[in-house]
Amino acid sequence: MADIEGLLHEVADAVISCKKEKVLEAVEKAKAEIPPEEIIEKGLSAGMNQVGVLFERGKLFLPHVMIAADAMTAGVKLLEEGMPAGTQEKKLGVIVNGTVEGDVHDIGKSIVSTMLQPAGFEVHDIGRDVPIRSFVEKAKETDADMIGTSALMTTTLQGQREVIELLKEEGLRSRIKVMVGGAPATQAWADKIGADCYAENASEAVAKAKELLL
Amino acid sequence: MAAEYALRMGDGKRIYLTEEKILSEIEAGSGNAADLGEIPDLSVDEIDKLAQILMMPGKAVSVEHGMEVPVTHDIGTIRLDGDQGNSGVGIPSSRLVGCMMHERAFGADTMELGHIDYSFKPVKPVVANECQAMEVCQQNMIIPLFYGAMPNMGLYYTPDGPFENPGDLMKMFKIDKARESMEHAAEHLTRDTVWVMQKLFASGADGVNFDTTAAAGDADMYGTLCAVEILRTQFPDMYIEMGMAGEMVLGMHGELEYDGVRLAGLWPHEQAPLAAQAGANVFGPVVNTNTSKTSPWNLARAVTFIKAAVEASSIPCHVNMGMGVGGIPMLETPPVDAVTRASKAMVEIAGVDGI
Repeated sequence: MADIEGLLHEVADAVISCKKEKVLEAVEKAKAEIPPEEIIEKGLSAGMNQVGVLFERGKLFLPHVMIAADAMTAGVKLLEEGMPAGTQEKKLGVIVNGTVEGDVHDIGKSIVSTMLQPAGFEVHDIGRDVPIRSFVEKAKETDADMIGTSALMTTTLQGQREVIELLKEEGLRSRIKVMVGGAPATQAWADKIGADCYAENASEAVAKAKELLL
Repeated sequence: MAAEYALRMGDGKRIYLTEEKILSEIEAGSGNAADLGEIPDLSVDEIDKLAQILMMPGKAVSVEHGMEVPVTHDIGTIRLDGDQGNSGVGIPSSRLVGCMMHERAFGADTMELGHIDYSFKPVKPVVANECQAMEVCQQNMIIPLFYGAMPNMGLYYTPDGPFENPGDLMKMFKIDKARESMEHAAEHLTRDTVWVMQKLFASGADGVNFDTTAAAGDADMYGTLCAVEILRTQFPDMYIEMGMAGEMVLGMHGELEYDGVRLAGLWPHEQAPLAAQAGANVFGPVVNTNTSKTSPWNLARAVTFIKAAVEASSIPCHVNMGMGVGGIPMLETPPVDAVTRASKAMVEIAGVDGI
C-alpha cells in the first residue's frame, strides 16, 4: 500500500517549493492512490497555508506566493480533469474583495485575494480606491456570499462602515458577510461597525472565510 | 485586588492592566520579535525596567539626566501646515517659518526642508524653487538643515509613472516582467534622487534624509542604497540619513541583492549594516505597531528589534517614533503618555543614538 501521508507531504512540499512542474508531478503521482478532495485539502491547501506562513515570516516573498498559487491552481485543474462531470470541486463561496475609496494601498488586499482563490473561493478583486457603491454592485452582480474590505489608513477606515451601511440600506446585509482588514482595523473596530469578522493577515482571512461560509 | 495601570492598545484605546499582565505582555512581545528576527529576547532586567517605565505614575515621563539624545524630524514642515487629514495641525505658515519654529521653539536638533508632495520624483520639475527655499532657510537658521523626501518608488509605476505596475503584472502571473519593471523603476529612482540632491547640496543643504525607504519593497531599497552610494562618493562630507518604511523589507521582487545580501525579508538589525555600507551616516530603523495588541506587547517587541539593530549598526541609529511605529499607538496625534514612555524605553533599554 502506498504511503498516503508521504504522498500528501510530497504535494504540500511541492507547493512550498513554488515549482509548478514539481506540483503537477506530485499530484499526478498522488491521484492514483488518494481521492482528489483529499489531495486538494491535505496536500495542495496545506502547502499553500505554509506558503502564507513563510511569507508572513519574511522567508518567502510575493513572487513566490504568486507562483505557488498558480501552481496550486494548475494542480486542482489536473485533479478535476479526471473527475466525472458534476463532481468537480465546488467553490466554497463567492467573495468580492477591494480597498475602500480614498485608499490606494493594494498589496495586502491582493495577497488576500491570491490566497483565497487557491483555497477554493471564487474571488472578484475589484482593486483599490473603490467607491463604496461598487462593492455592493459587484456583490449583487456576482451573487457574492462575502465582501472583503481593506483600509490602510485611519482616515479611510470609515469606508468599511459605509459598505455595511449600504448593504443594510439595500436589504442585503443578512445575506452577505463582511470581512474587514488593514493595519488600523482591529477586532474591536469590526465589532463596533458590525462586521462579521476581522482578519489580521492573509492566512487568517482564509481561515475566517472558511469558518463563516462553510 | 491588584493595582491596575492605565495603558493603551495599539489603536490608542485606553486599557488597564495589572503588573502581572504587563510582564506577561512584555515577555510575549519580546518573544515575538526574537522569534521573527532570530535575535535575543530582552533580559530579565530589561523586562523589569520596561515594566517600571510603563507603570510610572506621571502622564508624561522622561529620560534620566545625562541620557538625552538628539531629536531629528522628518515630513518637512507638513506637521505644521498640513491640513488634509494627515499628521499636520493646519497652521498656515511658510516653510521658512515652519523650519525656524522647529529650531527655535520645538528644540529640534536637526531639521529638514521638504516639498508638499514629499517624494523625490515630483521635486524634479520644481527643484529650482526648492533650491531657493533651501538657501533662504539656511540664511536664517543655525541647526543642520537637511533636504527630506521619500524615495516612493511607486510613483514610477502606472498610472503615476512610465513603468508597468508590478502589482498588475503579478496578478497576471507575469513575474519576470514585474521584476523587470521594478528594476527599471529602481534605476530611475537612483538617477532622479542623485540629480535632485546634487542641486540641493549646491544650494547649501547640510544633508539628505531618505524617509520611508523600501515603502515599495526591496527594489525601492535597492534604488535608495545605490543613490546613497553615489551621493557619498560625490559628496564625502554630507550627512545622509536613511530611514525605513517598515520593520521588514517587503519582497516584491524577491531576488535583488546589495553587497551580496538579499534585500527581501531583512529585519532592522540586518538593514542597518547595509545602510552603513552604502555610506549613510545615520540609520532610522522602524518597528510597526500592531493595533490589536497592547502597548506593553508592542513596545517590548519594538525595543527588542531596535536593540538588536543598534548593536549591529556601525552608524548611529535614530529610531522612528510616531503614529503607528516604535511601540506608539496608531493615532494621528499620538498620546503623550505612550510617546514619552516609548521614547524613554528606546533610549534607556534599546540604547538608540537619537529619535
